[in-house]
Amino acid sequence: MRALIAAATGLALAFALVLAITALGSPTGETSPEPLLTTVPSHP
Amino acid sequence: MRRKASLILLALAVFFAALSPLLRWYAFPRLAKVPAGQYQDMVLEAKDATLLDYGTMKAEKVDRITVVQTLKGNVEASERIERTAGRDVVVWDGLSYVQGPDGEMVSKFPERYIFDAHTQEPVHATGESVDGTPVRREGLEFKWPFLTEKRDYEYFDAQARITAPIHYKGTEDFRGVEVYYFEQTIPWTKVPFPKIMPVEGITPESVAETGTTRWYTTVRKFWVEPVTGAPVYGEEIHREELRGGTLLGGRDKVTAFAGHVKMREDYIRSTVDLVESQRVAVLLMTSYLPWGFLVLGVGLLSLSLYLEARGRRPGGPAPAQDREPEPVGA
Repeated sequence: MRALIAAATGLALAFALVLAITALGSPTGETSPEPLLTTVPSHP
Repeated sequence: MRRKASLILLALAVFFAALSPLLRWYAFPRLAKVPAGQYQDMVLEAKDATLLDYGTMKAEKVDRITVVQTLKGNVEASERIERTAGRDVVVWDGLSYVQGPDGEMVSKFPERYIFDAHTQEPVHATGESVDGTPVRREGLEFKWPFLTEKRDYEYFDAQARITAPIHYKGTEDFRGVEVYYFEQTIPWTKVPFPKIMPVEGITPESVAETGTTRWYTTVRKFWVEPVTGAPVYGEEIHREELRGGTLLGGRDKVTAFAGHVKMREDYIRSTVDLVESQRVAVLLMTSYLPWGFLVLGVGLLSLSLYLEARGRRPGGPAPAQDREPEPVGA
């Protein structure tokens, strides 16, 4: 019975961690102030 | 004590074993996405190209034509569309600026490409356009999806405003990176004149009045890194002609542009470096971490079972040696 509880705890923690990470997502960032280029840049 | 340790190890074993598929098939498709605010530029060149001189209306050989391509993620527009689309959206405002050998503008071709940040499928929303004209894209443009497959895809051609297959032609090694080579051929197709013409005073409407039409064909080649879906190199064998009408002075057709457009060497190097670094980040979620967690889970489970088995073995001090029977004395 104790082994079953330990396994269930591990499973629940894995689900909780993955759900939390995906819920947080990644930051959207901001629109770059750089213009759309009409000159040839000298380097990348 | 051993019993307690084996239970903790069992919990950890299940934790890591469960984390492995969850990371690969639940977290990765939700977390891997094209950033909404990405900005990137690219320089391509066509050496020994043919270009129409609009003053004389004759095709001339030129040393070099340079194409500057910029893609700029518009975060505000993407957030606005996300509210109604209900999914992560990227809006790229793009400009293909073509410069002649004298530094003068040859053409200026803006577009707005709206797509799903995870799958790269086009999202149809107000503002989706090519050269200021609303379009409804189908297929890919600029980037392939993460974990690109060895198959044909549909690719949108902005000049012709059509979607056509781009064929998977094989796997190659490009500067140490394994890439999938894709190729698309757009046959001669009548296309609209660009809104901004290279000569002042000439407009698409004034050219249309002469009866002259613009035709275009291209062979588009992309070498795509399959893990990120990012092209590391691209080429285009591009031809444009003006046909018919009074503008050509009795000629059937005249070449407006012909050239083999290739990425500039310094941009190839920087693109390969960038894609290689992003490749590691994607592989971490699709391969390294899931496999690592699975192996760790199995290892911890084995250790837990071993401790459990040892804990169940009969313990305590070893039984005392039997004494020799004493002789019974009278």
